[in-house]
Amino acid sequence: MRSFSHLNARTVSEAIAALVQFDGRARLNAGGTELFGALKDEFLPEYPEAVINIKSIKGLEYIKEEKGHLRIGALTKLSVLSESRLLRERYGALAEAAHAVAGPQIRNVATIGGNLCQDVRCCYYRYPRHIGGPINCARKGNGPCLAVNGDNRNHAIFAGRKCFAVCPSDTAVALALYDAQLVVVGPQGERQIAVRDFYTPIENLLQRTEIVREILIPAVTGTVTQSFSKFALRTPIDFAIVSVASLITLEDGICTDARIVLGAVAHNPHRALEAEEFLRGCRLDVEVSRQAGEFAIREAKPLSKNAFKIQIAKTLVSRAIFGQPAGFVLKGNFSETTSSTQMCSGKH
Amino acid sequence: MSDITVREKNKKISQAKRVTLIINGEQRNLEIGHLPHQVETTHTLLHTLRETLGLTGTKLTCDNGACGSCTVLMDGKAILSCMTLTVECGGKDITTIEGLKDRDTGALDPLQQSFIDHTAFQCGFCTPGIIMSAKALLNENSTPTEVQVKEALSGNFCRCISHYQVVRAVMAVSEGGA
Repeated sequence: MRSFSHLNARTVSEAIAALVQFDGRARLNAGGTELFGALKDEFLPEYPEAVINIKSIKGLEYIKEEKGHLRIGALTKLSVLSESRLLRERYGALAEAAHAVAGPQIRNVATIGGNLCQDVRCCYYRYPRHIGGPINCARKGNGPCLAVNGDNRNHAIFAGRKCFAVCPSDTAVALALYDAQLVVVGPQGERQIAVRDFYTPIENLLQRTEIVREILIPAVTGTVTQSFSKFALRTPIDFAIVSVASLITLEDGICTDARIVLGAVAHNPHRALEAEEFLRGCRLDVEVSRQAGEFAIREAKPLSKNAFKIQIAKTLVSRAIFGQPAGFVLKGNFSETTSSTQMCSGKH
Repeated sequence: MSDITVREKNKKISQAKRVTLIINGEQRNLEIGHLPHQVETTHTLLHTLRETLGLTGTKLTCDNGACGSCTVLMDGKAILSCMTLTVECGGKDITTIEGLKDRDTGALDPLQQSFIDHTAFQCGFCTPGIIMSAKALLNENSTPTEVQVKEALSGNFCRCISHYQVVRAVMAVSEGGA
């Protein structure tokens, strides 16, 4: 890696002060599993002058329940989230999403804050300098999106605009399901951003001088069935081709409320509103779940090479609703669960 | 909040001059700088282990967090040394493949011996990483099931397809194992 200064921040305000000091030409480092890939490949137009270690900030690693909310510290590791009893019992989709990320060595260091703020995995955008790159593109503010006429197998099938790369975060899909908020701190103070609104086609809404401090999840109440499933080929290294998170409220077998979020199909976690609308008031069976799958992808506009994602999305949605284990989907390794889709229900 | 920020704006954090960490039970006090014996801020733990300390058992393959060859234990947990900065390892306890043998007698760890007994490798390049991942699993769970072994080793790739023998070798040292 090219040289950079290295600082250890001891508090959130020290980290912000350092970001201000370098005027945006510094990068925060938590787990480092994404940042050092980016710095080694040098695909970005700017190379940071400094790397600010935020692992040295105490007290940002927690999962707390209070006043109708679940609060998760931004430095909480994915392995901790996937093994948390509280999450497994009541926020199963998030536990499963955290577990679906990469392999065990990465989950042992990668944090939820970093997972949410990671950059996209577009093969043009990330093309490394040392093998002939970097390649300019819309996301780098220089030229068109090369995926539109090129290899777009892993790109958006919904609402593409300017840049067609998809949001790579698995935990964002589960958090969008719960309507979670990011608590972001900067020189001007604190603000909250909904996870669903955090991603725009070109970048995320985090300013260069801001840091994610906490994730705030409204408590899940009532009898709900939730699931997260991810389709990927080589699960420990591949990002999702399509993922689906669902939260279904049932009363006497009738669906009274449904939330369905699709991942890796758009620049943000994509809410399948039509399918949700359709499910309300329905008695769930195979046919209903099949139809919901159709509704979920009705608005899709695939690019030249990624229409296959529509079939996967449709299948994942219908399996999520009717609770069938999904054949090729990433396996959960919760010791008591062998099915691929983590289903959990609870009354509280 | 903004008050604190204004006050701390003038109080710049300075770069650390040294990093002290424990490697295979031995405390190492490394200087940070640009001289050959020093650690650069950009050096990964993998680079420091191999190039500065001569511990070449840990292997460099993809250098991008995908293959698992560079797996070492940090405070007992398997991590990728290619995606970790040495300067961020202060106070950490690192174990590499060289640290598994008995420090007094030099005898191999039962897990290492089991890999030999089961011929759980072909070219052997991925083996140190696989053994460290398996060690991390056995530290937490001395009686893993085959599914748990496979899950724990899912971040380690072997192009020679040694996986079948590897799973057998790990299961053989698991307490409930064969």
